[in-house]
Amino acid sequence: MLQLDMDIIVVGGGGAGLRAAIAAAEASPTLNVALVSKVYPMRSHTVAAEGGAAAVTLSEDSLQSHFFDTVAGSDWLAEQDVVEFFVQHAYQELVQLERWGCPWSRKNDGSVQVRRFGGMKTERTWFAADKTGFHILHTLFQTSLKYPSIERFDEYFVLDLLVVDQRVAGVLAIRYSTGELVQIRAKSVILATGGAGRVFHYNTNSGIVTGDGMALALRHGVALRDMEFVQYHPTGLPGSGILITEACRGEGGILLNKDGYRYLQDYGLGPETPLGEPRNKCMELGPRDRLSQAFWQQQKLGLTGDYQGHAVVYLDLRHLGDKHLKERLPLICELARDFVNVDPAKAPIPVRPAVHYTMGGVMTDIDCQTSIQGLFAIGECASVGLHGANRLGSNSLSELLVFGKVAGERAAALAQQNDHVSHQAIAQQTAVQQALLSGMPGHNTNDSLVAIRTAMTKAMEEGCGIYRDANSMQHCLDQLHSLRQRYQVLNVEDQGKVYNSALLQHLELGFGLDVAMAICSSALARKESRGAHQRLDEGLTARNDAEFLQHSLAVQQQDGSIDIRWQAVTITSLPPGQRLYGDCGAVNEGKAS
Amino acid sequence: MTQTIVIARYNPEQDEKPHHEAYQVQSDDNTSVLDALQQVQQQDPGLSFRWSCRMAICGSCGVMVNGVPKLGCQTFLRDYPAGLVITPLSNFAVEKDLIVNMEPFLEHLSAIKPWLINTAEGTQPHVQTPKQLAKYQQFANCINCGLCYSACPQFGLNPEFRGPAALALAHRYNLDSRDQGKAQRMPELNAKNGVWTCTFVGFCSEVCPKKVDPAAAINQGKVESAKDMIVSVLKPSGAR
Amino acid sequence: MSSQQNGRRPYLPPFRRDWWLQLRFYRLYMLREATVLPLLFFVGWLIYGLYSLGQGPMQWQHWLEFMAKPWVFVLNLLTLAASLFHAKTFFELFPRVMPLAPPGLMIAGQWLGTVVVAIGLIVLLGGYV
Repeated sequence: MLQLDMDIIVVGGGGAGLRAAIAAAEASPTLNVALVSKVYPMRSHTVAAEGGAAAVTLSEDSLQSHFFDTVAGSDWLAEQDVVEFFVQHAYQELVQLERWGCPWSRKNDGSVQVRRFGGMKTERTWFAADKTGFHILHTLFQTSLKYPSIERFDEYFVLDLLVVDQRVAGVLAIRYSTGELVQIRAKSVILATGGAGRVFHYNTNSGIVTGDGMALALRHGVALRDMEFVQYHPTGLPGSGILITEACRGEGGILLNKDGYRYLQDYGLGPETPLGEPRNKCMELGPRDRLSQAFWQQQKLGLTGDYQGHAVVYLDLRHLGDKHLKERLPLICELARDFVNVDPAKAPIPVRPAVHYTMGGVMTDIDCQTSIQGLFAIGECASVGLHGANRLGSNSLSELLVFGKVAGERAAALAQQNDHVSHQAIAQQTAVQQALLSGMPGHNTNDSLVAIRTAMTKAMEEGCGIYRDANSMQHCLDQLHSLRQRYQVLNVEDQGKVYNSALLQHLELGFGLDVAMAICSSALARKESRGAHQRLDEGLTARNDAEFLQHSLAVQQQDGSIDIRWQAVTITSLPPGQRLYGDCGAVNEGKAS
Repeated sequence: MTQTIVIARYNPEQDEKPHHEAYQVQSDDNTSVLDALQQVQQQDPGLSFRWSCRMAICGSCGVMVNGVPKLGCQTFLRDYPAGLVITPLSNFAVEKDLIVNMEPFLEHLSAIKPWLINTAEGTQPHVQTPKQLAKYQQFANCINCGLCYSACPQFGLNPEFRGPAALALAHRYNLDSRDQGKAQRMPELNAKNGVWTCTFVGFCSEVCPKKVDPAAAINQGKVESAKDMIVSVLKPSGAR
Repeated sequence: MSSQQNGRRPYLPPFRRDWWLQLRFYRLYMLREATVLPLLFFVGWLIYGLYSLGQGPMQWQHWLEFMAKPWVFVLNLLTLAASLFHAKTFFELFPRVMPLAPPGLMIAGQWLGTVVVAIGLIVLLGGYV
């Protein structure tokens, strides 16, 4: 076993983790920052974000307006003090990225260009063609290289957090290239491990988005908050789930059913906007939860088309023209050609909803601090309280910058005050993991990782999909319980040390199962419909503020089952109102402001 | 339908050197090399390879397909009716199966100072026109997949060569209207393993999945390097 | 070595000396580079010609006869073909190194320049003016 001492550990090398590492390095160059990631940082899932990052930019826009859109978009489950802080700091963070070299798309006068995005009242989404996440990630990664105090541990997989008396002491990791156990002590630890979309069958996520960080915290008694809210992106490619960005609709793309009808006008998002004149918060620019739900309704009515056995609707971009598409949506043109053999300038792209984002995550306060001292969480793995029941597209890229910086600075401040926990105090925890690791080969060789994983993702798709009811969720939870038992005795099919991918997938599945349990249990407990959590059970199809204007907190019990507790929502200035889009929304906003 | 693919296997804990093995996979019109590898992994969980995004943006899944560097997720079995042999990326050391040691690549990347160098403080964005952006934008699209290093015989002959992606990235920052760091990067470009090692074979640009054209970047870098060296000769010593 | 203790044993295949035979792209590259060889003959004979001119009419006549030999003529044709091939590759690469105008325009411009210079030289040296 290798033993190392660092001041700060950042787990995860995506946008949030890199931003935090840079913030920590800038806060104090004398602190050693370990950036521990299971993949090379530039492979992280931030790379796949396409559309953009939101911040109030135009003179006709206002912080109140961004605040209103975010809180209403969250179906009033966002922490309003957090949203206030976020909208105030988003612009400066996007500028910071510009000053680090991010190639934001520009207007002719050389100023930064902003585009429309779903659920946003005004154009406020900064973008770099349709590869915004890619450019943000690479800018951050390349910038991080100039700080000598940031030491990278690429392809190290974190197994467990070291925790002593409710205070974090470091992490235990496996070095993928050698299979060695590595103990890294630290004074503060930041979790930035991304979401858990891979626990669902159809998703837009990278293979690495397996909920690791959420499970790490959950296993140490930290609550996962609002886990029932899982965002379906309305436009994934059939089969693979590969993401077709919302920016397509921001640019004026329209959604059609099999009859060529713009069905969204039937679901409170109308009236139909003229072709080539997209209107903010109307029709195709409604929020993601509403659009995905409309798909489900169309499917029930038999109005969706078929693409190789998958129900689909059609994203029509033809009227935008070849030149505009190549300039503004080059990646989309490439993806459509490669994966569904469609040229978007000539034919509509078949799309369907796919799991995209976990709104919930490791519960933190506004300073990104969890209930364990010195343990922070940021980005998709965290629930700082920004997204509530539904995230608005382009808020998450800004989120990881704003709160990445906060966590990095807080972690640095803490690391300067504290000392390492003694080796003795963490010896036993280390020994347990070491024993687990060497005893990893369970005895059951008749089962397989793939079988359990597929059963989990299918169960989640059926039980915790766009619409849910008590029976299907209970069935899903029962299945998860039995899958967990099967998992515990499952044999690891490769005994090697060097780059043992079977072992990593085994560990990821364990994390995924824990997170899936938290999602399903939280969903069962929320007996109302709100944002991305829509129930079909009688009497539960509407929002119920009297009982459920509360965050769900999922806490793991000794036996692995999940106990649900509730936490009040912080409301500062915007009392719960109706969430309306299209023409009705315009009327409503007039009243609110 | 069923198709046969051949994969280079290497287990450092058992094998002296890599060997080829054939596998049967189910394929249709949309089956990518990555899909096929995942199918094989279900038959043989010991198979190791890198992958993540499935949409040709994370740069993880580079392999050689019939001797040509490709991204597994973006390469389709339908294009190889005569069969395909999948081997690890050339010019890198093989760690296990299709996983190669990418550390040399990262060292080269870091060496050219790939960040914006500009000491001015400010709270507003720089002004940069679409035209100024267009000058470097293509070279900013590199996903660090490393295919160009496997395509480059000069890197194969001399692993100290900074190589296509790193030199293209240096050029990207040198071309950025916001950057002031060219003087700091030029010594690395002028050096023995900098731009002049390139003989414009050009295969790097041919295999680049993002059309970055690193060969163009390096040879534009040669022009800059030549200018830089002429200037340094003409200037009186100490004036630099 | 620690790499032996921890099981790592990176395998670096030897770099093949015949790498350039492996792909069509590499073969074309080597062909481009090889165009220098016939050019060497050509330059050699040219220098020999200049030398002969200095040695008087006898020697000059001798050189002219040598140049008229079929195998020398064929080699010169080969040199011309090699130079044209090299020009083609060069003209295509040049716009990428110095992107001054749209590539198609630059390539056409270079060919036009070549033709104009060639005709000019023929007219001038051929004694047509």
